[in-house]
Amino acid sequence: MELEIINLTKEFKEIIAVDHINLSMKNGVYGLLGVNGAGKTTFMRMLCTLIRPSVGKILCEGKDIFEMDGEYRKILGYLPQEFGFYPDFTVQDYLMYVASIKGIRQTAAKKRTKILLQQVGLSKVQNRKMKKLSGGMKRRVGIAQAMLNNPKILILDEPTAGLDPSERIRFRNLISELSQDRLVLLSTHIVSDIEYIANQILLMQNGKIFHSGTQEEILNEVPIRVWRLDVRKSEVEHWQAMYKVANLKTMPQGAELRILSEQCPDTNAKEEELTLEDVFLYYFGEKAGNNDDVL
Amino acid sequence: MMMYYEIKKIFVKRGNRVALAVLAFAIIVIVYSLVSQTYWVNENGEMETGFGTIRKIKEAKQEWSGSLTENQIARVIEEKNRINATPQHQSEDMRQQEIAYSWTQGFQDITYLLNYAYGDFQTWDYTVADSLTPDMASDFYPNRMKSLKKWLEEEEGGANLFTDKEKAFLMEQYENLETPFFYEYQEGWKNLFQWASGIAMITALVLGFLCAGIFADEFRQKASAIFYSSYHGRGKAIWTKVTAGLLTVTVVYWAAMLAYSAAVLGIFGIEGSNCPIQSTMAGWKSFYQITNGQEYLMILFGGYLGCLFMTGAVMLVSAAAKSSLLAVTIPFLMIILPSLLMSMNSPTLNKILGLLPDQLLQISSVVKYFNLYEIGGEIFGAVPILAAVYLLLTFILIPMMYFTYKKHQVTR
Ligand SMILES: Nc1ncnc2c1ncn2[C@@H]1O[C@H](COP(=O)(O)OP(=O)(O)O)[C@@H](O)[C@H]1O
Ligand SMILES: [Mg+2]
Repeated sequence: MELEIINLTKEFKEIIAVDHINLSMKNGVYGLLGVNGAGKTTFMRMLCTLIRPSVGKILCEGKDIFEMDGEYRKILGYLPQEFGFYPDFTVQDYLMYVASIKGIRQTAAKKRTKILLQQVGLSKVQNRKMKKLSGGMKRRVGIAQAMLNNPKILILDEPTAGLDPSERIRFRNLISELSQDRLVLLSTHIVSDIEYIANQILLMQNGKIFHSGTQEEILNEVPIRVWRLDVRKSEVEHWQAMYKVANLKTMPQGAELRILSEQCPDTNAKEEELTLEDVFLYYFGEKAGNNDDVL
Repeated sequence: MMMYYEIKKIFVKRGNRVALAVLAFAIIVIVYSLVSQTYWVNENGEMETGFGTIRKIKEAKQEWSGSLTENQIARVIEEKNRINATPQHQSEDMRQQEIAYSWTQGFQDITYLLNYAYGDFQTWDYTVADSLTPDMASDFYPNRMKSLKKWLEEEEGGANLFTDKEKAFLMEQYENLETPFFYEYQEGWKNLFQWASGIAMITALVLGFLCAGIFADEFRQKASAIFYSSYHGRGKAIWTKVTAGLLTVTVVYWAAMLAYSAAVLGIFGIEGSNCPIQSTMAGWKSFYQITNGQEYLMILFGGYLGCLFMTGAVMLVSAAAKSSLLAVTIPFLMIILPSLLMSMNSPTLNKILGLLPDQLLQISSVVKYFNLYEIGGEIFGAVPILAAVYLLLTFILIPMMYFTYKKHQVTR
């Protein structure tokens, strides 16, 4: 399965949400990383034919997805960022309905629903109403519905947002499990999600995908190094003003800083291994300090 | 399977269940009030009400059933005069008067017709029947035409309300009405017609409420992203929504109307289905040559079409606006606005009002109005025009909602 994105642009009244993206994707897990407002959701909506691009094209195996219409959506699975459902439906009803609009026959849908419910660990609550589910359970139903038609292209918009740490781990494992033999694109603003599951990373900012590659490639290409430095508490502000500080750990006698810098900032500094986290901070600046990310 | 869940979406919603319960409750209250309003004055001059009186009324009225010939009219006048001459009728004592009244109940419907036939076209004077003699019976049917003719000539009557062609049409309709009427007990139909439009209107409101969410809820519940990104999301799944709406209208409307009819006719009896509607006071002036049974069918199908159209409009607006807020008000406006405007009593306005969709919900009134329309040199009553216009409009609404909904993008 190959998706080719050519010059893809979406303008809203004042903003260019997606700005001339050119990209080619094959089977594998792509992690779309960017801060809020980067344009991830808008990009994904276009990939799901929900929004028509202002300029540009999306080709699936060489064919325009908007012209393919149903034929394209048949191989598509989508978990939207804000996952809406029918609150009075049971989990079973909900999945059976989505199966029906995906064109799956009843007997096949029943089998598939049963397997997926098991896979996402929701067999026990299949008769519970959607509105009675916890946030994490809802998200798992969301994944299940996306997988109903065994999609060749799976698009997950911030699938781990709002989950607690243990649920997030379960979710990552689930996504890894489901990602065999498909093209999976998942967006997040949480670095650790990507570190664990994505083989390809797409960095997005202001509507542009400005960098992409495997984790290694990205780490190698970043013109930055990371240093550990123990300082006195009174010096912290000084260092923060001088350098990007990835982490600050206060100790009884002072503070331990993680500093991003091309050159060694101080003779006492020890070079450490660069992580995606550092890259994120480097590219996205202050916004990277995300409390959401506990892992 | 898609249809099953689409319908299920409508009926699992709590608000919708409440609306249906309200409808069922309204039907029960209305039928109950019809029964409790029924009264009978017994031979002791005491008033009885409720269910037990129905049989007595039926027995009394059935004695006067049959062709309403001059002979029969003369018999009624004679009997009326005989009772008027009794000491009970002339007594000062209320109880005695009530006893005299009790003897008139069997032919009361016919007495009411006499009041119209021998009275003025526009006024209802209940004493008219007391001033007749049996030899006047032969005027009964001719008088119906005469009083229309007179009224159509009066300046303050119908002279300025109709064109000559329309006047001729009315006269012709009156003349063509088959006489003598067949008369029999017909309380079932009378009661049925009394609240049929009320039930149809409540049903239309409830249906608007039920169906407003079919399109809008996908957006309200943010389920639209998954809906539109699915295989059938811009095709069959939308048709299924359209069909689910039509099916809901069909099922709920017929269930409500047939439950109401079955209850009323079951309680009051189905006798009188072959009587012309002119054989009771309510339909005396109508120019439609139909029986109670035929009026009933017109009410049923008119109401169905009215509900289809109104719900169709609701669905179109909710499909376009992606919100049901504005949409649910449509049936209210369609029902309430015309009745407010009607009170302005302007003839041209009334002509327009006569073709608004709420009329379909109240065919029992429409068949009594003199709303006439000239098309291609022919005069028509409102009923055939309403049927044609709204059948067409409803057929247009259906693809409109489909295409309106199909083109939406999901931007939030
Ligand atoms: N429907 C819309 N109308 C106008 N602006 C929008 C709309 N959707 C998104 N935007 C804007 O486009 C930009 C990108 O938003 P979005 O795609 O949601 O980013 P992300 O998913 O990365 O947070 C933001 O500035 C957002 O305000
Ligand atoms: Mg987003």
